[in-house]
Amino acid sequence: MASVELTGISKSFGAVEVIRDLNLSVADGSFCALLGPSGCGKSTLLRMIAGLETVTAGTVRIGPDDVTYAEPKSRGVAMVFQSYALYPHLTVAQNIAFSLSLAGRPKAEQREAAERVGKLLQLDALLDRRPGELSGGQRQRVAIGRALVRDPQVFLFDEPLSNLDALLRGQMRIELAKLHNDLKSTMIYVTHDQVEAMTLADKIVVLDRGVIQQVGSPLELYNNPANRFVAGFIGSPAMNFIPATAESGSGGVTLRLGNGAQLAMAGRLAANLADIGVRPEHLRLTAAGAGHVDGRATVVEHLGNTTFVYLDTPVGAMIVEGDPGTPIHPGESVGLSIDLAHVHMFDNRGQAHRAV
Amino acid sequence: MTARPTVSRRFNIGSALLTTLTLIAAALWFAPVYWAVITSFRTDEDTVREFTLFPSDPTVANYVFGIVNSNLPVWYLNSTIVAVSITFIVVIMSACAGYAISQLRFPGRRLLWWIILASFMIPVPGLIVNHYIIIAGTSLLNTYPGIILPMLLAPVTVIVYKQFFDGLPKEFREAAVMDGATEYQLLFRIFLPMNWGVTTAMAIITFIGAWNAFLWPFLAVNNELMMTVTVGITSVQDAFGVAYGRVLSGAVMASLPVALAYLLFQRRVTQAIALSTGIKG
Repeated sequence: MASVELTGISKSFGAVEVIRDLNLSVADGSFCALLGPSGCGKSTLLRMIAGLETVTAGTVRIGPDDVTYAEPKSRGVAMVFQSYALYPHLTVAQNIAFSLSLAGRPKAEQREAAERVGKLLQLDALLDRRPGELSGGQRQRVAIGRALVRDPQVFLFDEPLSNLDALLRGQMRIELAKLHNDLKSTMIYVTHDQVEAMTLADKIVVLDRGVIQQVGSPLELYNNPANRFVAGFIGSPAMNFIPATAESGSGGVTLRLGNGAQLAMAGRLAANLADIGVRPEHLRLTAAGAGHVDGRATVVEHLGNTTFVYLDTPVGAMIVEGDPGTPIHPGESVGLSIDLAHVHMFDNRGQAHRAV
Repeated sequence: MTARPTVSRRFNIGSALLTTLTLIAAALWFAPVYWAVITSFRTDEDTVREFTLFPSDPTVANYVFGIVNSNLPVWYLNSTIVAVSITFIVVIMSACAGYAISQLRFPGRRLLWWIILASFMIPVPGLIVNHYIIIAGTSLLNTYPGIILPMLLAPVTVIVYKQFFDGLPKEFREAAVMDGATEYQLLFRIFLPMNWGVTTAMAIITFIGAWNAFLWPFLAVNNELMMTVTVGITSVQDAFGVAYGRVLSGAVMASLPVALAYLLFQRRVTQAIALSTGIKG
């Protein structure tokens, strides 16, 4: 186990700069998720930690060692790839023990290691099969086993569940969480799926265009997003944004929404407001004309435990999370009431502000 | 319901026509092979007397003569040594070259690739005089290295391997690099074993080419004991002219290993031809 320290990391491919002066510290034993949309540089960052990409500038430290220019094999890291990268001509046991075989370790030792790891990952009955005979979930476990057998200081996961169906993804998520609890190893996990990041990680790093937007625990990011990008990226369904202006007066802050509605809040706001953000669960359906915004339902999704209502409103399309079985039909006119305690405010640069 | 029989009938007429054309083409191809085989079982008098589809008095005398009175066993051995050596060296060399050009980054890589592509476009007979001068100058005429060395030029095999390695997902390489694999281990423990089909196909087609080669071995060897079987059978002639039966029995024996290789590895040979002509792969 070891911490990972990235200092002043930049990466350019020709003239294109994909990571800009990035600083990040991942504590020993932490499960850190690198989260962001496609092309944000999260996989490149992981590959630089692994040593599969060189850094253009900056230093990478794993534990006490500066590994910026070290070979991948000597960094004490193991990586699980999205495509599993299992060798089709080798059995499960041979795949798991491949690193030991490369190092010239005795066959008995390789088999013993494969059996030990196989037992941990419930692969013991499959050790003599080839990858082609396994299901997606089993292949993923073999890929994890190949990383485990090396007993690395840091585990790196590059979107490891992306190739699995939704049900299996859920199961593997639980298995990964259990594995982290058992091993207490440092794990860095790249994903574009915020549900994976929220459920697995104790620390999430949100990246956009090669720059860290926010680092924090899942709930910190959900409840206090640092900017509009994080607010919109974390949470499913996504946060609703409403154009708004604010006036601070002696009685508090008055928010004026795009449709002319006014909301009064306590405190003062020292910024030029551009938008407010409200999560679907912080909007309440009311009778038309009785809320802050009126709208017309376009789609209603009854999920059993909750209901999502998609609406067209004068301030744009919005999503509301209602009670299970909310009696509403597409085409109906309704009102929306905003829970003022959970309003997020963003200036014209997208930065979040609070009334203080 | 009415359209179906029409389509079906059209299809049947089309396929029947196609089958007939294929059969005619097959018969045209097969006729000389058949003629060679039956002639090898005839006496020369029988061959020149009249046209018959079957030997009137079948004999194995031509084969016995070839085996007993010529150096055929020695030529067979020479051909085996030459073809196996060429196959082994070409496959190893091409796999290494294809791997280097596909997977390694080094100065001049692109230039090297263009040179290999360009060499693919030069017909080997165009180089044969150069080869002869070099091999004669190094006193390698009438030796195995003299026959083998110029026949190791196999840009097609390098190209096939390069394309094959290019097509493998880069994660295989990266996973092995993370595990501490050297380039040698990557090639021989992962990349090649992952699909032996390509190597088998390349080996078979190289072997067939090397066994059947005539022009270069014919120039490089004049010592009868160093001849390959394709060159040797041309010397099986009667003092009074061409001995049809003997020449053709030699030809049948010479082509036997290739015919067997083809029959045993039919699918691999087809795959090799498809790979090396760019039909697929």
